[in-house]
Amino acid sequence: VAYFALGSCWNAVAQVRSYYVDWRMLRDVKRRQMAFEYAHERIRINALRKNTILPKELQEIADKEIAALPRDSCPVRIRNRCVLTSRPRGVKRKWRLSRIVFRHLADHNQMSGILRARW
Amino acid sequence: MYRILSRAVCTARNHHLCVYECYVLPVKYDDVLRAFTGANTLSTCIIRQCEKKDVSDQNETTTKDVKPEVEAKANDGGETQQQGDGKVEQVLSKPSQVKSDGAKSGKEGLLDLLGAMKVEVTNKRKLKNLKTKQSFETSAQYKSKPAAMESTISMFQKATVQASAKSDALDPDIVAAASAAAATLPNQSQAESELLKQLRQRKALTEAQKKGDINNLGDLIADMKVGKKPARQNAWPADQIRFDDDGQGYTHDRGITGELANIRKRRNVFPTKRLNIFSPTTDQQGGESALAKPTLWDMDFANELSLSANQMPRNGFEEMIQWTKEGKLWQYPINNEIGLEDEASVPFHEHVFLEKHLEEGFPRQGPVRHFMELVVAGLSRNPYLTVQQKKEHISWFRDYFHQKKDVLSEADVDLS
Repeated sequence: VAYFALGSCWNAVAQVRSYYVDWRMLRDVKRRQMAFEYAHERIRINALRKNTILPKELQEIADKEIAALPRDSCPVRIRNRCVLTSRPRGVKRKWRLSRIVFRHLADHNQMSGILRARW
Repeated sequence: MYRILSRAVCTARNHHLCVYECYVLPVKYDDVLRAFTGANTLSTCIIRQCEKKDVSDQNETTTKDVKPEVEAKANDGGETQQQGDGKVEQVLSKPSQVKSDGAKSGKEGLLDLLGAMKVEVTNKRKLKNLKTKQSFETSAQYKSKPAAMESTISMFQKATVQASAKSDALDPDIVAAASAAAATLPNQSQAESELLKQLRQRKALTEAQKKGDINNLGDLIADMKVGKKPARQNAWPADQIRFDDDGQGYTHDRGITGELANIRKRRNVFPTKRLNIFSPTTDQQGGESALAKPTLWDMDFANELSLSANQMPRNGFEEMIQWTKEGKLWQYPINNEIGLEDEASVPFHEHVFLEKHLEEGFPRQGPVRHFMELVVAGLSRNPYLTVQQKKEHISWFRDYFHQKKDVLSEADVDLS
């Protein structure tokens, strides 16, 4: 899977040849990177939008500004996928693994401190 | 008595001496040949032979014809050590002196090899030199030459502990003690003279040791007394052929485990007294000057070199190192404040009192000011941002409100 990575310094796009599990994972990676870049701007503009003190005209302009930002820059579009299988559902946040992979590793003693529950 | 002598010979830890011993003993022992070839089991084999052997047999053999043969063998042997050679020469030179002593004609065979090495016959020494004897006996088991030397030196050092009280011309107390001890023996005058002679030799030995003159240690050792080993363990010969059920013989190859076990019997690896071989100052200075702290240029060069040369990681460790450098992997031990080391030096009031940034660029009244005060209040409570980030927030708002001035004026906001 070859993809275009954004160079942070010069805004140059370089083709990086690496291997993600699938393209969806790659897109998720891109969204995360972009969300990191635009994080400060988004939070400032949102602070302008979400208050009752400033005049509404300013807030409307702020709405338009934040909508003009690239769509992938919003953190809401990030999906916590499984790191190994790119499974979008059934992912435990702490381990970043899907339930199937988690179970597989735990049964093979690869997870430190994880036991089969019995009580 | 001859048993003790032979034991002393064996335990002298000289391959060539042991070789002599092999030839002195009657050749009917097949083990001798094996011992001659085998290196590690040499002395142990001979020890066992000595134990089992009849003492009387030694008198029968003559060494004169044996010696030149053995000499040739010794020279051919690949395990020559220089000290061993020196010892051999000394030992060879001694016999001529020893033979002149008429009283020792009976012990010719072994005493020629040992030179002037005397046998401890009586227990008069035990009272005085118990410690030194034990140390020498324990040293007798060592295989390596430097260990033997070291042990003898440690023995000398222990002798120095005892001899520390002796003055240059034997302490009168010691002389009195010697005479008292000799009084218990039948041959009083001779015993006393021997005692005093030994004491003087000891003192000369220790003084030579103190001066650091170890060259004539061979002579000193030759004059030393050898004691009897109190406990004998495992009297089996190392190379004895054992027989299986089917009658096939095999030898138990112990390898070096026996030797290592013997070495482990040593009570203390490091002797209590210093050897004074090296002066303490010389080592440290040379090392420090060579490895001065690497300059920034050196580090930069090393960095460039690593970048240019090694691209691919060869193993998992290098891969982890690469990831750590890239930032993909956390640095261990985990440091929560990585990247924020400078922030520790920033005083707290710069975090909390941010109103001073509101003095310029913002109106003093109105909703904008109200909004910015809320922003500053929020920032002052935020422990996760650096001061620089907070200032950047405030400056961004300043610029934003400057841009939107016309909008604000349309909305009748006070911009003073």
